[in-house]
Amino acid sequence: MFHLPTVQFTQEQEQFRLDVRTFLQDELAKGTFTSKCDSWLSGDDPEFSKLIGQKGWIGLTWPKKYGGQERSTIDRYILTEEFLAVGAPVAAHWFADRQTGPLLLRYGTEEQREYFLPKIVKGECYFGIGLSEPNSGSDLASVSTRAEKVEGGWLVNGQKIWTSNAHLCHYMVTLVRTSAFDGKNKHAGLSQLIVDLHAEGVTVVPIKFLTGEHHYNEVFFDNVFVPDNMVVGEIGNGWAQGLAELAFERSGPERILSTFPLIDELIQELKRQNNLEGLKQASKIVARLWSLRNLSIGVAQLLETGNSEDVSIPAALVKAFGTKFEQSIPEITRLIIQTYPTLDAHRKIDRFMAESILHAPGFTIRGGTSEVLYGVVAKGVIAQ
Amino acid sequence: MSEMKDMIVDVVERMLKEKVDKDLVDTVEQGNWAPELWDLFKENGMTAVAITEENGGAGGDIEDLLNIVRLTGKYAAPIPFAETTFANYLLEFTSLQVIEDLATYMLCPNQAFTLENGKLTGEAIQIPWARHTKHLVTLAHSLEGTHLVEIDLSQAEIKHGTNLAGEPRDTAIFHHANVSQVSAVLSPDKMHAITTLNTAFQLALMTGAIDKINDLTVQYTKEREQFGRPIHRFQLVQQHIVHLAGETAIALAAFNNVTEALQMNKQNSEVAYARIRFEEIIQTVTTIAHQVHAAIGTTHEHSLHQFTRRLWSWRDEGASTSSWTNLVATQLLENSGDSLWGYLTSFSSSSPLLKVEG
Ligand SMILES: Cc1cc2nc3c(=O)[nH]c(=O)nc-3n(C[C@H](O)[C@H](O)[C@H](O)COP(=O)(O)OP(=O)(O)OC[C@H]3O[C@@H](n4cnc5c(N)ncnc54)[C@H](O)[C@@H]3O)c2cc1C
Repeated sequence: MFHLPTVQFTQEQEQFRLDVRTFLQDELAKGTFTSKCDSWLSGDDPEFSKLIGQKGWIGLTWPKKYGGQERSTIDRYILTEEFLAVGAPVAAHWFADRQTGPLLLRYGTEEQREYFLPKIVKGECYFGIGLSEPNSGSDLASVSTRAEKVEGGWLVNGQKIWTSNAHLCHYMVTLVRTSAFDGKNKHAGLSQLIVDLHAEGVTVVPIKFLTGEHHYNEVFFDNVFVPDNMVVGEIGNGWAQGLAELAFERSGPERILSTFPLIDELIQELKRQNNLEGLKQASKIVARLWSLRNLSIGVAQLLETGNSEDVSIPAALVKAFGTKFEQSIPEITRLIIQTYPTLDAHRKIDRFMAESILHAPGFTIRGGTSEVLYGVVAKGVIAQ
Repeated sequence: MSEMKDMIVDVVERMLKEKVDKDLVDTVEQGNWAPELWDLFKENGMTAVAITEENGGAGGDIEDLLNIVRLTGKYAAPIPFAETTFANYLLEFTSLQVIEDLATYMLCPNQAFTLENGKLTGEAIQIPWARHTKHLVTLAHSLEGTHLVEIDLSQAEIKHGTNLAGEPRDTAIFHHANVSQVSAVLSPDKMHAITTLNTAFQLALMTGAIDKINDLTVQYTKEREQFGRPIHRFQLVQQHIVHLAGETAIALAAFNNVTEALQMNKQNSEVAYARIRFEEIIQTVTTIAHQVHAAIGTTHEHSLHQFTRRLWSWRDEGASTSSWTNLVATQLLENSGDSLWGYLTSFSSSSPLLKVEG
């Protein structure tokens, strides 16, 4: 079985946690933001992102020469936990911080790093993730958006779908087909391009989420010109580059804590009611959360020390189990106490319940469905 | 964790792999004793790991010891290793003399014996391996309070019993028997620490058995063919494999975090969380493993049940899950100012658990 490392936070790390927490509590008290469940996907607030940028808390692990702080993955883990635990609106810069920055650091050109990273770090430049298409969901290698070579760049035609926050984003890392589909080698001929979402020929069309909110989109490309210097990594290497991001994408605290504000409010409510019986039931949630967090931090520690190949299976496991856990929270809550879930409710618990119930179906889908992850884990376990 | 850990774990695992097979476990389940296995552990100094050197210890720390216990669980090693080493750990923890022979313990507070003028009276059930061991470490109430005592089992009337896994769980009855050692009155903190340590030893055994059940099941899905292919090729079987692997990974990580917290004297409620979570893990793991093994797993010929029966027994021994849930619930209630997140991430250590007094 996987033996994941354990992590003991250092004194400095504990202090960092408290600093972040104090900052967030102060801003919450000032009314800078309102706590929200699933805040990393639906809590977008560019003003807040800029504030976070000023604190130096975007791109925390990146090199100083691009505006980063060169801090550890564990420090970033702590920071992320604190944002999610309080339900802070971090969605605007989320994907740029989590995915695009690391992608460019690993595969980007120096020019791309110097251009994009300092802007991302300031909380002023947002990226979308352009993977899914109407006919390519789980089977991502089947994408058909194409890019053809032209003088000085590439001409993109096709469509992406489910792009979270594309309407707010400046750019999108887009997976495209740069040579004809080969049924025998589906993973070949894919490339990653940075598409300027305000370029000519790009149309972003909103799709309403089941809450009625606008958070994801369809993105259409009609002869969109992408200059050569916006190719990420090597042409044809898109699949391998995309895979390398997955362990980061799948194993973070956001796969466990999307509904944490609800759990916290449940406990507060039970304490107000002096309800020991309810708290006994809730202690099972605490035990589950603690045990998942062990796994998730263990993966973060492995990522810190290098070899990302070893971690793809435990990372998939964290995602599959973690999202199932966060999805279960509203169901458990409603069996412990009575709530009246309403999105604009006055009582916090009612609002958190509404947000959690309505967002929960997406948890086990975004970033790869549980079924697909089960396949990854099962094959990995059998191969051991 | 001591630098010896990897080496100790390697040596012990090799020993167990070589010496413990299904037949040996069967034989002991039928009421016999495994002298060779015991002697091997003793001669290799394993029974003295985590005892301080001035008390004749063999080096190593609590994390090393718990990892050896985990391995005895993984091989269903039919000897009272956890019992003897824990009894000694308790003796040292309460500033009493450690002992060299086989020992066992009984900590159930409502079964405690009474102590009057150094004489012990009373009856306790479910004492692990009592018939095979010499010394009992247990709780006794005097007029002053509760003590840890050590007493020679030859003075007791012993009635044999077994748990679901055929492990000895005997009754011992004492009438005005002489105790060999008595500790000072145990404070509530100390009592709590003792319960915590006991549960950590049980978690170690359970983790080993869970790990083994995962191994056996994955192996079986590769060997067993139906409809012309190995059964791991069926998606629904894969789903079982994933849940089993997930629960096993969670158990291992929980165990590692518990041992490290104990080791660093930083434990807050890790043992409580782990014990509560193991309830679900055991339920899932045993159900899945039997489902995947289908009929063969229900036979006495197969070894799967040696591990599932142990888990079903062990989960009902020692401090109950409901007492741990109660503890966490009470902590949550009393932790009035702080948010749940503050409670979960607090790093102030509780009263140091492992410092030996005196
Ligand atoms: C809230 C949210 C935000 C998202 N944001 C983005 C984004 O920003 N960018 C982006 O590119 N995408 C985004 N997505 C899309 C997401 O990545 C896809 O929805 C997901 O990969 C699944 O694809 P699909 O919806 O087409 O389902 P399908 O692939 O059609 O799957 C349908 C069902 O079949 C099952 N299935 C499919 N293949 C297998 C298999 N091999 N084995 C077993 N079962 C299988 C699936 O598990 C699922 O249950 C987002 C989705 C959600 C819900």
